[in-house]
Amino acid sequence: MEATIEVNGLRKAYGSTVALDGMTFTVTPGRVTAFVGPNGAGKSTTMRVVLGLDRVDAGTALVGGRPYRSLRTPLRHVGALLDASALHPARSGRDHLLWQAHSQGLPGQRVDEVLTLTGLADVGRRRAGGYSLGMRQRLGVAGALLGDPPVLMLDEPFNGLDPEGIRWMRGFLRALAAEGRAVLVSSHLMSELQDTAGHLVVVGRGKVVADTSVADLIAAASSDRVTLRTTARTEAMTALARVGATVAVTERDTLTVDGLPADRVVTVLSEAGVPFSEIAAHRATLEEAYMELTRDAVEFRATEVAR
Amino acid sequence: MRSALYAEWTKLRTTAGPFWLVVLAAVLTTALSAVAARAVSCAATGCGVDAPLVALTGVQLGQAVVAVLAVMVVGDEYRTGMIRTTLAATPSRAILLGAKSLVVAGATLAAAVPGVLGAWLAGRLIMPGRGFTAEHGYAPLSLTDGGTLRAFAGSALYLTLVALLSLGIAAAVRDAPTGVGVVLGVLYMAPILVAVVSDPDWVRRLRQIMPSDAGTAILHTVDLPSLPIGPWPGLGVLALWSAGALLLGGLLLRLRDA
Repeated sequence: MEATIEVNGLRKAYGSTVALDGMTFTVTPGRVTAFVGPNGAGKSTTMRVVLGLDRVDAGTALVGGRPYRSLRTPLRHVGALLDASALHPARSGRDHLLWQAHSQGLPGQRVDEVLTLTGLADVGRRRAGGYSLGMRQRLGVAGALLGDPPVLMLDEPFNGLDPEGIRWMRGFLRALAAEGRAVLVSSHLMSELQDTAGHLVVVGRGKVVADTSVADLIAAASSDRVTLRTTARTEAMTALARVGATVAVTERDTLTVDGLPADRVVTVLSEAGVPFSEIAAHRATLEEAYMELTRDAVEFRATEVAR
Repeated sequence: MRSALYAEWTKLRTTAGPFWLVVLAAVLTTALSAVAARAVSCAATGCGVDAPLVALTGVQLGQAVVAVLAVMVVGDEYRTGMIRTTLAATPSRAILLGAKSLVVAGATLAAAVPGVLGAWLAGRLIMPGRGFTAEHGYAPLSLTDGGTLRAFAGSALYLTLVALLSLGIAAAVRDAPTGVGVVLGVLYMAPILVAVVSDPDWVRRLRQIMPSDAGTAILHTVDLPSLPIGPWPGLGVLALWSAGALLLGGLLLRLRDA
């Protein structure tokens, strides 16, 4: 089976509230696709539609080319984590996975494997009701991995994780994608997916606002701004101004250069024989690039809330 | 279907609630029957008491526990949100409800068979001391007697059908307290409603179609022609109610967002 999620023209309204307004995107194998947007943008609804839990007014959602409800052992095709707290508090974590394994014809041994994989081997026999949110997220990921599926779909997996857990989750997602799986991860905090996501699907108000590779996005958002440290301030300013750069003094021996890429700055200064001790190109973080992108799509703007 | 059934069985046995409800249903069925058996007496031949019916009084209480058990099987999943995990694992709503039905029926029989056997034993041991003796025309309760066997085995089937009715209703209302309320309303309120109808023809008609009235016809062993409906047709009416509730629950499960 092809490891893809194909979402095409999803529309759904709850009364007069439009939840999905032509949501369309494809998740391809081998990379982590970040599914980001403000709360209420339609991320969770889309994931529920993909899993055949919610119906749509129009459009299709296919996993590996097939509608979810037609899959006989769906957890072997796609592993999903929607709500980590959706478990019976009196049942142990291991038993919570065990019934899911049995529903797919998987042996109990597979349960122990995914418990080890997610670092829950020691607490598997404890009541899941006593788990911290971080442990529940790990349990949810363990459930998603039960059927060793080629497609993974995780809704806000970073919620409730401590810094160590966030690091673990990032590495884990990268590794799963590196194995050739299609991994879709939703988040409303872009910074969580820094260095993890290779592709970005940004949504707002029920539709896709941007569908781009992370590298392209960051390159576009990073302006040609270079920070320069030099003892020969005046000489540097003169040399750079001559080739058209805008130079500003930020500290006693620090300059900010706009309008010239870092490698050109280096060339100009070397040719003019100006000494410098440090040069750094400013690079936008994924968060900054994302904020730039969604400035207009945010459902509730701070100004509106403030009124 | 087999793996869905296996999963539902694993769910049922990995929390303590269902086990204790099964025990409670069996104990209460036997206990109330024993109390009822002590409360009746037969002073002379022709006292007209339906001895097996008295010994099966506990079924009236056991059915409430069985109903709660069945409602919990669905209601707990909606309360915790686990239903979405369940539907993700078994996307076919028909297979899921079928698997839940079989598991609930099995758990109910696990409660009903010992509960009803306990009721039989209580009746057999207690009732002779209350005047139900050979000289008043009563043999000790025996499961080799056709009518008695039908009443006792039928009551186990009655409890199973009540559980399936409850399961269907729970799937339709998606909430345990509401589900229990509706089921107990259907089971216990209907006879009360019938009581306020004055026209005897209508009373008879209503008692032919109400699930608990029609279903409990299976518990009677004497004066059957005076019942509004025969034992097996009565159980059939209850079975139709159960099938209808499951069909409704399954349909709503299919059509609504989870």
